[in-house]
Amino acid sequence: MISGPGDLVLTNICKSYGPQPVLDGLDLRVPSGSLMAVLGVSGCGKTTLLRLVAGFERLDGGSIALGQTVLDDNRVHTPPDRRHVGYVSQDGSLFPHLDVAANVAFGLSRSERKGEKVQGLLETVGLTGFGHRYPHQLSGGQQQRVALARALAVDPQIVLLDEPFASLDPSLRARLRADVDQILRSSGATVVLVTQDLDEALSMGDRVAVVRAGAVAQVGTPRELYSSPIDPELAEFVGDANLVSGTPNGAGVDTAFGVLEIQGVNAAISGESTVLIRPEQIELLPDQDNRGVAGRVEHLEFFGFSTIARVALEDKDGLPDHLTVRTLGPSDLTVGARVRLRVRGPVHLWPNAGGSGSSR
Amino acid sequence: MSADSVLDNLLTRQFDNVSKRLSGHQIHGHLPKLGTRLVLAGIGIGVTLIISVPLLLLVLEGAMAGPANIGSLIWRPLTGMLIWNTVRVTAVASAACAVVGTLSAWCVERTNVPFRRLWSVLLVLPFAVPDFVMSFGWSSVSDLVSGYWGALLIMTLGLYPLVYLTVAASLRSADSGLEEAARALGAGRIETFVRVTLRQCRAAILGGTALVALILLAEYGAFENLGYQTLTTEINTQLSVSFNVSAACVLSLLLVGIGIVILGGGAAASGQARTLTHAGPLVPHPVHRHKVGPMRWVIAAGLAALVGLALGVPVGSVIYWMFEGGYQSPGGASVVDAGWHTLLYAGAAAAVATVLAVPVAFIAVRSRARLPRVMARATYLVLSMPSRVVAVAFAYFSFTYLDGLGYQSTQLLILIYAILFFPLALVAVAASMTYVPAALEEAARSLGTPSFRSFGRITLPLLAPGMAAGFALVFIGCTTEVSATLMLAPTGVQTLATQFWAYQHNLSYGQAAPFALTMIALAAVPGFVLARYFNRLPSRATGSR
Repeated sequence: MISGPGDLVLTNICKSYGPQPVLDGLDLRVPSGSLMAVLGVSGCGKTTLLRLVAGFERLDGGSIALGQTVLDDNRVHTPPDRRHVGYVSQDGSLFPHLDVAANVAFGLSRSERKGEKVQGLLETVGLTGFGHRYPHQLSGGQQQRVALARALAVDPQIVLLDEPFASLDPSLRARLRADVDQILRSSGATVVLVTQDLDEALSMGDRVAVVRAGAVAQVGTPRELYSSPIDPELAEFVGDANLVSGTPNGAGVDTAFGVLEIQGVNAAISGESTVLIRPEQIELLPDQDNRGVAGRVEHLEFFGFSTIARVALEDKDGLPDHLTVRTLGPSDLTVGARVRLRVRGPVHLWPNAGGSGSSR
Repeated sequence: MSADSVLDNLLTRQFDNVSKRLSGHQIHGHLPKLGTRLVLAGIGIGVTLIISVPLLLLVLEGAMAGPANIGSLIWRPLTGMLIWNTVRVTAVASAACAVVGTLSAWCVERTNVPFRRLWSVLLVLPFAVPDFVMSFGWSSVSDLVSGYWGALLIMTLGLYPLVYLTVAASLRSADSGLEEAARALGAGRIETFVRVTLRQCRAAILGGTALVALILLAEYGAFENLGYQTLTTEINTQLSVSFNVSAACVLSLLLVGIGIVILGGGAAASGQARTLTHAGPLVPHPVHRHKVGPMRWVIAAGLAALVGLALGVPVGSVIYWMFEGGYQSPGGASVVDAGWHTLLYAGAAAAVATVLAVPVAFIAVRSRARLPRVMARATYLVLSMPSRVVAVAFAYFSFTYLDGLGYQSTQLLILIYAILFFPLALVAVAASMTYVPAALEEAARSLGTPSFRSFGRITLPLLAPGMAAGFALVFIGCTTEVSATLMLAPTGVQTLATQFWAYQHNLSYGQAAPFALTMIALAAVPGFVLARYFNRLPSRATGSR
């Protein structure tokens, strides 16, 4: 990755509350003007990460820098009001005693407060005409829009979003997410979005960093993360995963599904391996077909745009008990139907450390 | 799993979640870094020290009596009787206030009783009736109102509003959804009240009751009127009849000791209790009130009876004496003159106490260190010191070491008032402080506002209603103060309270009445402010209603 002058660079940052380390040597570089989604389960330290970048907490070790400027290390601590960092918290933290316009104008100089800027920002977030309402008169989604407008008002170099959509209902969430994405991109700010929602991370992030046990487990584009996770655990964290065992040979990887093509990056792996097959890589064939592996549909979940089937396998040689299969659109599958399964496209794999075939 | 254990689980989880939230970011949030935080903490500790000066003086002057005298003073039978009298009236009247205050708050906040808003004001106003006017009013109605039972009645009627205020505020901010969850799990109305509602507002009940108990320890006027002897009445006798300052200080330290037990007990009991506040964005959540059918009129009648006893009887009897007592042109200070001095002293003292309460409330609510929090809480002990002994301690100190500096000066009187009633200001400001999440200050800071300015632009405006309530509480306290005023007021100056006291003492009820009425009228205004503030408290924080 090329290091740009406005990149946000976190180096080996450590933070503990009491004896328990929350962040333990975390490294992350967020390229200037990009949106980094930080994904992790609750309690993995992602909110602490944001609070450190915002300056609400002090580092125990490591450094935070914006381009060449060090914001925080063991000698420097730039207070939050001098960081030019916009922060949108989970609940918006709107000032209850100020109306919407005054909330948005809070960070502006006295002369700017009365100007066009506030109206412009309200228009940007789709709240024209709401300037005189008070926070408690707004819905949760509107409050988050105001919080975003307020953060953008000061033209921050960095915008931090702490699970900003978590407390909203799902239908609202998708729309607001798309709007916020667009607004942030046109602002040109560097954005760090913290979330535990996979869809949110994959759909919004230019790059996604998965935080596990206080450190970044993997960082990459959403596509890289989905198709080439660094280990089976991460594979299961970013989407449904079927893990089967296989042995690479010159032509590909030999599995119960036959020899499968290996993704470019894994070409050099040899020896007993674990192979990742995503549910949509599996094709279901009628029982009469004699290709692939035989199975029986045990359970169906219909989502409209796709159907997820859990298929019990009969021949378990190097295969798990069940495979998860996704087909597009409604299908005429029924529970109990006999099917055959075939894998399409190149697969990702990891060498087994111990040599024995692992399956989950 | 039985319905009971499901309910318990539900409750426990709710409490856990909220306390995690509270301990994480909301309440014990992160202090603004250095600068402002240190300055505020420094000021707070400074104020705490000023407030503890009376305690120091009590210890110094009490110690002068010498161990032998102290021993014989404490172990004489009279002292035992006084301690017993003090403890039993404090315990029983506090408990009665807790019951009356909690029940009336529940009726107003959680049932569909008619005229809700009216009750929410009327139920608070008895606090604005001076205790000695309350006792005067009642004992002029019936001779039966005297001694222990009289004291119980008068003090319960006069002080239950403190419990009412805190519990009503807590009920309004508590999630009424929990009660519904309990009902859905098969708990009846009474079981829900006991297992859910009371637990939700346990901290508020304990806090309000502790305040009542501390005030009871130092109560003088009403007990004197009713002929009920306590440590405080004895202390006043020691001071005004036998001029035995050391003995008075030693007895006061006994009161402070009892006060420490009350505070410690209250803190221990409420240690685990958390008020449930709304989490997440400021989305209005509807308040559900129980539809109690025809019972609503029974409840209304009950509240009317309470207001009648606590407000109607004393005000009515004062008005009666005004017309029947043969009002003549007063020989002492005029009502206007006395009223002006009361207004001046009470207003200035309330302003001083409220401003001083801000940094102390900041430490009490936000500090993560234990010692400052304990120090801030310890200032409540001032309430348990009889005001006369505090006044004498200051005067004595002034004459002994400062050549009488400040004695009978307006400034000293205002300072003493501010110290005496400081805890009332602290209660209100601290309650408000818990509704100002540190996250708001953080938001302001990340918008480029330095910490001292974010304190001014965010914290202070949000505290303003709490400060108004604190002002009102202290103002009411000062308006009705007698014994320290008699001692320290500038020569020739009378306040409403001292003039009423003098006339009442001479049995000139007709002449005393206008002073009482003016006092009630003056105190009713802040009483109204108080009721209005506590009515709006949670709606500011959560946007509900």
